[in-house]
Amino acid sequence: MAQILVIDDDPSLLGVCKVGLEALGHEVRTAETANEGLIEAATRTPEVIVLDLGLPDLDGLEVCKRIRSWSDVPIIVLSADGSEDRKVESLDHGADDYVTKPFGMRELDARLRVALRHRPDEDDHQVELDVGPLHLDLVHCQATLRNKAVDLTPKEFDFLAYLARNVGKVCTRRMILEHVWGPNHVNELHYLKVYAYRIRRKLGDQQGQLLQSDPTVGYRLVAPGD
Amino acid sequence: MRRSAMKRSAIGSSAALASMAVLTSLMIPLRSHLSIATTALILVVPVVIGVVIGGFVAGATSVVAGFLVYDFFFIPPYLTLWVGAPQNWAALGVYAVVMLPVARVVDRMNVARANERRYGKEIRELFELSDLLVEDQPLDVLLTVIVTTLADTFGSRQVALFLPEDDRLELAASAGEPLSEDDLQRILPADGAAFSLDSHSFERNELLVLALAAAGRPIGLLVLSAEAAARHEREPLLLFVNQIALAVERTQLRDEVLQARLTEEVARLAKTLVGAVSHDLRAPLASIKASSSLLSDGDLDIDLDARQSLATTIDVQADHLAALVQNLLDMSRIQAGVLTPRLSIVSPADLVSTVRDDVTPLLGNHPLVVDVPPDLPPVDIDEVLMSRVLTNLLQNAIRHGPKGSQVAISAHVASGETIELSVTDHGPGVRPDRRKEIFQLFARRDEDAGAGLGLTIARTFVEAHGQRIWVEDAPDGGARFCVTLPVAPSIPEEAPVGADSRH
Repeated sequence: MAQILVIDDDPSLLGVCKVGLEALGHEVRTAETANEGLIEAATRTPEVIVLDLGLPDLDGLEVCKRIRSWSDVPIIVLSADGSEDRKVESLDHGADDYVTKPFGMRELDARLRVALRHRPDEDDHQVELDVGPLHLDLVHCQATLRNKAVDLTPKEFDFLAYLARNVGKVCTRRMILEHVWGPNHVNELHYLKVYAYRIRRKLGDQQGQLLQSDPTVGYRLVAPGD
Repeated sequence: MRRSAMKRSAIGSSAALASMAVLTSLMIPLRSHLSIATTALILVVPVVIGVVIGGFVAGATSVVAGFLVYDFFFIPPYLTLWVGAPQNWAALGVYAVVMLPVARVVDRMNVARANERRYGKEIRELFELSDLLVEDQPLDVLLTVIVTTLADTFGSRQVALFLPEDDRLELAASAGEPLSEDDLQRILPADGAAFSLDSHSFERNELLVLALAAAGRPIGLLVLSAEAAARHEREPLLLFVNQIALAVERTQLRDEVLQARLTEEVARLAKTLVGAVSHDLRAPLASIKASSSLLSDGDLDIDLDARQSLATTIDVQADHLAALVQNLLDMSRIQAGVLTPRLSIVSPADLVSTVRDDVTPLLGNHPLVVDVPPDLPPVDIDEVLMSRVLTNLLQNAIRHGPKGSQVAISAHVASGETIELSVTDHGPGVRPDRRKEIFQLFARRDEDAGAGLGLTIARTFVEAHGQRIWVEDAPDGGARFCVTLPVAPSIPEEAPVGADSRH
């Protein structure tokens, strides 16, 4: 049972989300405009916010930025297919995940549960991370898969560790490049393809089930069963 | 040319002979009082007339005639060719010797003046052409102007202009007689061979071929029949070929720029359409998918009321989708140009009540107020098209009015021939400077992501009826969209089948 705020300008979609998410065991509040949504977010402190990017009174991206200025509440962006740029931009501005319209209610629920499970305060200052069969020792920079050591280069380990710290959450290419390679390398997109390919081979994950790529957006590490 | 010269010469000779006859008949009664020298001087006049009108040949003819007339009528003994006194011989000799050079000089002056006049005319015409060349005209018009002006100015039988097209020279414009196949073969390179405009201008088989080039780049080929190419006319012609080349090149470049801009605009419009339509399609689709995913999920415990509301959502949103698809179909119908209203006579109240039934599910919490008196005169419209107009206006009002605000339909007789139907909302209204453009394709408010097809379709349908649609401020805020409907011509009712026709 979690408190969820859905902000979308389409009242009929809000109605369906309310019915569906309540049936899935959540407590749902809705807002039709950005201003209504900001007030709700500030006064009711929801546990997750579902935010449509196309709002009539204020750009969804701006809403995202404003919420981030005072809160780390997970934000899942609802986006239209074909607006990749805005999706990536919103992730860069602090959104945690996105769902593309049209979506099934189970898909939204799955994303909500991932967002709820990995709230930011839980992951700070951890020295060890576990993602399904993968274990990362952040102190010694060692990775093991099903208790067998995986031989990773330092950058490969950093890449994987960054995704593991944000497990379940999509990380944009820009975010990964900035954190792993540094702010001067944010345009070296081809690094990511090469490293993702090498890491998958070393993890025996050629199908990309553990290390998933979201074309044109970025990568996410997903524990099997999530 | 030759024939006209002979004709001119004959006219000149006749005029000379006629004037000579007149002068002679005037002088004969007075000849005893006139000196032989005076008579000779007077007989200069017909010769000059002959030269001026008919040129040197006519002049020479009149000199011979003058000589004979002088001798026959004015040198004694009269009426014989016999020349008496020796001084008479001298007079006759002087007449002949002086008159021939006089005829020659007058003729030269005449020819020079005619040349000057023609040259001046050509220059003037070419000057006019140069004015035409700098005007902003489509390429085909420009080319036609060039060839016809050249044909007129140089009196050329044939003028043709060739421009390169896909590595071949194609006839772009011509004036006068068309060039024969043989001529074409001589001028143009054989089929398949790449043409080259580097070749210098040349003259072949009575055709003058001039290469057009601007700043060293080949532009095309100008062909004139050779009578236009007499030596003294070449200079202005060659001068002009360069100007023509520049004008053609400039127009071609301008057309290319326009074409590029047009392509850009079409691409931009297509992008807008795809973006707008996909947004409009996705919004209802998102609700439908979310609802159906819940209804089909057997593991979820959803109460009956909630299930009912999900099913209603699907139903209403499917109607939205259907309406959008209908709009897209209407758009393509409009663009295919197959829009002819099928007129029938309808009562405004019936039209409104049909539409009202259709839009009821879309109203949500907007109350709909209808003020359409049932006794309004019937209108002559395509009921299907006008229903779409009214539906689109209502959808627009529902979309832009704040939650729960009232939407009103009203109708009244505006004049003897029209009924004014209006849809009023309580939305933000339309700024005066946007009142025209909201009816254009893809116009929409900045914050509104919809395709904005509805009002465009409404306008097109209304205009197909020859009627008007516009938007104005509603008296208590909001926008009022008005449409005029043509009142059906009234036919006086027949007398009821009465008792008098029955037996």
